[in-house]
Amino acid sequence: MKRIAALTIALLLAGMASAQTLTVWVWDINKPALESTIASFQEMHPGAEVVVEDLGNQNVYDRGLAGCAAGGFDMPDVYLVENNEAQVFWSQFPDCFTDLRTLGGEELLPLFPDFKWAELTEGDAIFAVPYDSGPTAIFYRTDLYEQAGIDPTSIQTWADFREAGTALNTTFDGTVKMGAIGKGQDDEWFRMLANQAGCFYFDEAGTEITVNQPGCVSAMETMKDLWDASVLHPAGWVEQIQFLQNDAQASSFFGSWYGGTLTAEMPAEQAGSWGVYLTPALEPGGVRASNLGGSALAIPASSDNPELAYDFVVNALADEENQLEILFEYGLTPSLLSLQGNPALNQGVDFFGGQAIWQDILGTLGDVPAVSGTQFFQEARNVMIVVVNDYLDGNYASAQEALDQAAQQIAASTGLPIAD
Amino acid sequence: MTPPKSPRRVRRSTLAPYLFLAPFFAMFAVFWVYPIAYSFVLSFLNTRRRPWTFDPDFNWGRLVQDEFFWNALQNTMIILVVQVPLMLAFATLLAVAFGSDLLKAKGFFRFAFFAPLVLGAVPYSAVFRLIFNEQYGILNFGLTSIGLPSVPWLFESTPALITIMIAMTWRWTGYNAIILLSGLQSIPLALYEAAKIDGAGPLQRFFRITIPMLRPVLLFTFVLSTIGTLQLFTEPWLITNTGPGNATETLVTYLYKQGFRSFNFGYASAIAYTVAIIAAIFSLLQIRLVGGREVDR
Amino acid sequence: MSRTRLLQSIALHAVMLPLALLFLLPIVWMLIAATLPNNEILAAPPTLLPGVHLAENWRELNNDLNFTRAVVNSVGISIIFTVTATLVAAMSGYAFAKFRFAGRGILFTIVIAALTIPFEVRAIPQYLLVARDLGLGNTWWAIILPWLAYPLGVFFMRQNMLSVPSDLLEAARIDGAGEMRIFAQIVLPIMRPALAAVAIVLFLFQWNDYFWPLLILSQKDAYTIPVALGTLVGLTRVSWGGIMVGTAIATLPFLILFLWLQRYFIAGITAGAIKD
Repeated sequence: MKRIAALTIALLLAGMASAQTLTVWVWDINKPALESTIASFQEMHPGAEVVVEDLGNQNVYDRGLAGCAAGGFDMPDVYLVENNEAQVFWSQFPDCFTDLRTLGGEELLPLFPDFKWAELTEGDAIFAVPYDSGPTAIFYRTDLYEQAGIDPTSIQTWADFREAGTALNTTFDGTVKMGAIGKGQDDEWFRMLANQAGCFYFDEAGTEITVNQPGCVSAMETMKDLWDASVLHPAGWVEQIQFLQNDAQASSFFGSWYGGTLTAEMPAEQAGSWGVYLTPALEPGGVRASNLGGSALAIPASSDNPELAYDFVVNALADEENQLEILFEYGLTPSLLSLQGNPALNQGVDFFGGQAIWQDILGTLGDVPAVSGTQFFQEARNVMIVVVNDYLDGNYASAQEALDQAAQQIAASTGLPIAD
Repeated sequence: MTPPKSPRRVRRSTLAPYLFLAPFFAMFAVFWVYPIAYSFVLSFLNTRRRPWTFDPDFNWGRLVQDEFFWNALQNTMIILVVQVPLMLAFATLLAVAFGSDLLKAKGFFRFAFFAPLVLGAVPYSAVFRLIFNEQYGILNFGLTSIGLPSVPWLFESTPALITIMIAMTWRWTGYNAIILLSGLQSIPLALYEAAKIDGAGPLQRFFRITIPMLRPVLLFTFVLSTIGTLQLFTEPWLITNTGPGNATETLVTYLYKQGFRSFNFGYASAIAYTVAIIAAIFSLLQIRLVGGREVDR
Repeated sequence: MSRTRLLQSIALHAVMLPLALLFLLPIVWMLIAATLPNNEILAAPPTLLPGVHLAENWRELNNDLNFTRAVVNSVGISIIFTVTATLVAAMSGYAFAKFRFAGRGILFTIVIAALTIPFEVRAIPQYLLVARDLGLGNTWWAIILPWLAYPLGVFFMRQNMLSVPSDLLEAARIDGAGEMRIFAQIVLPIMRPALAAVAIVLFLFQWNDYFWPLLILSQKDAYTIPVALGTLVGLTRVSWGGIMVGTAIATLPFLILFLWLQRYFIAGITAGAIKD
């Protein structure tokens, strides 16, 4: 009897110990960022431990896939997932993650923009909570613009951007370009511009292919216009950093998270000579907002402590103070709507010459059109990388023709119908 | 060349060979046969939506009409037909140099050409991406300084494919050269002496003696390189990003995208089986064409 | 050396030396990069002189990654794997080369066919098996066991084993030696160069293998070197300095080992392929 009692106590203790420890899987900067929220979490749950593990971006995804395929085996309590890759998980492994409604997750719905939720919910279920967003903007070199006589406030549309690029080409004899495009490497430009026009590979419900709709066509035409005017370098991720480091590129079009990349990768002498302006519109008076990237936190169904994990997630992502710290310390853009207009955002950022960039960037969040990556995101992306590349090379008579072709190919590989 | 030496006498113990094979095949059954059979079943399932359903045409039918698959196959074949023979020719010349008594400091040279193999995939590809950079890479710097035009290695289709082939050649030539060297060293010197007496020049000796005598080892390297190329992944995945567009997409990068990016295991399995079938056909062809008896009997 | 031969020799070196340097260049550059700060690694034109950032890169690498532990894991796994897999391959190679038995042709064909199957086809079912059914996730065995059946090793060994004189085996049998003893005391010692060659190939494979360890290892303390280095590739930032230092640590001992052991390697690698 004594032994059994001892065993029971030991088991209880073991159970309690594990009940108090959360494991979180993340990549790079998210580790210190989420660790900064642990202290406030522990005020609510004294004795709870949180272990945040940086597995690297690729590893988190691949390990999550393997774990879900094994029926929820060896998964953490909290799992970081990229927004546009998220739906693959929900549709392939709906039982792998906790429906947050069971934990009261519907309270979070009004706190974040719709475009974030589109990819994190499936039917009625809520599978993840929005973490950072990637509202797009133009990051630019104030000194280089000045030398070429470009006034960033005058750049309202992409046509203005092209004009400025031509001026830059003249000033620097073509060695300094206005921007860079991952031609044939990625289709980020297409996604950013199409998003601006409210178009995407698929419709919002993710049931039809819409990649050949007018908004996407105008995104393609804008890219071609810029490309033909030779104002963009062709560059992958590494090449773009090299161009920027070597003063051969005056601006960069990306999601807001690129600010963190610039701060980390640029030589010290460039600090202070960077600035930010809003994404130019496709046509005069058009939308000056779009989104690229961003991530969310999900709770695997195998977690022993879903309630505790939920509290951790809510405290980290829906708490204004924690989100402001994550923004200013780690450069991750909050998705939390209530932060817009928060006076703390008026704080200048040294790297950006004291400009209060976050006020501007966060202000665009509400304007970002919602899209749905669907579980077919990667296949559509593969098609578009090729089609955009061929279109820029002049292998299609028109943008419409290129996108009709793309729609056919996406239909063939996903089985989805093409919208009328 | 001596004819294959088969074991001449009948074994007393008929059990012994099976005991020697037991550890291998026990592990093989668990870690190869089971997963391979499982994938075979998967290739007939529609794994696009839950629940997975039996639908043989879904993956195999798609394979036949999938332009991206045919493009990946074509790229792989181009690399196979162009890079493998060139690399092996280069490796043969290197092996001859390694074996020549005209060469000093052989240890250093063998080391230099073999060393690439030790480098892990991530740094290897990072270094190559930087070397092949259009504006800032060492390669274009070298080309332009001797008056040649600079090449957009990573942003145009043909140069990108060439980049992949150069990287593969860098990584694997030394390895093949060393395999070939061991073949060279077993060619009886008397053959060369006799040829010299008959008045054959160095080129004639190379083509009349070295190449024919090397044939079995060459075949061996051919089969290994063919299988390696059909499974090519690291270089296009990490150096060119399978681009521009899908100019450097290979069968296995495509397989990987389908299986591990899109979670479409059924289709990925169908592609994998295609790779295996092609590899088997090529290996058989090579063995037949180049003279098979040396490899097995 | 005659005048012509001297000229030929000079010409040969004139071709070989630049080529050799070209082949070594990326490795030398990797070593240099290990000493540079992150932004100088991507600098253009490339920095070709060592910097002073080695210690900082090491800190970045070892900082909450525990790279030392990864080195221990990689060394332990690679050694156990190499010894065991070489033995397994040698036994099978011996059976295929030196015995006649029912099913030999078919079994050997199966081994060859296995060479042609890409690993990706096995990855998921094998993950389910090893992690879920065998419960070996995050252990050394999870990495060692699946590759103990290494078809290329069997193929190599079989080709080499063909050169073992059958008369010698027969003589030992007449003396009453058991099959195991013959294998251990006669065959293995003769085959030492071939064993060394296969061992190097197997070791290299395991040392650099990435995808399988990545799937099966989720805990930092279980990482091997390539998996640990993979975590330095972030989404918006890559820690080049850390990667280069880690690679240098992973590569240098092996390069030295190769310089030292290359005689064996070269002697053995395909000895059998031509001798049959």
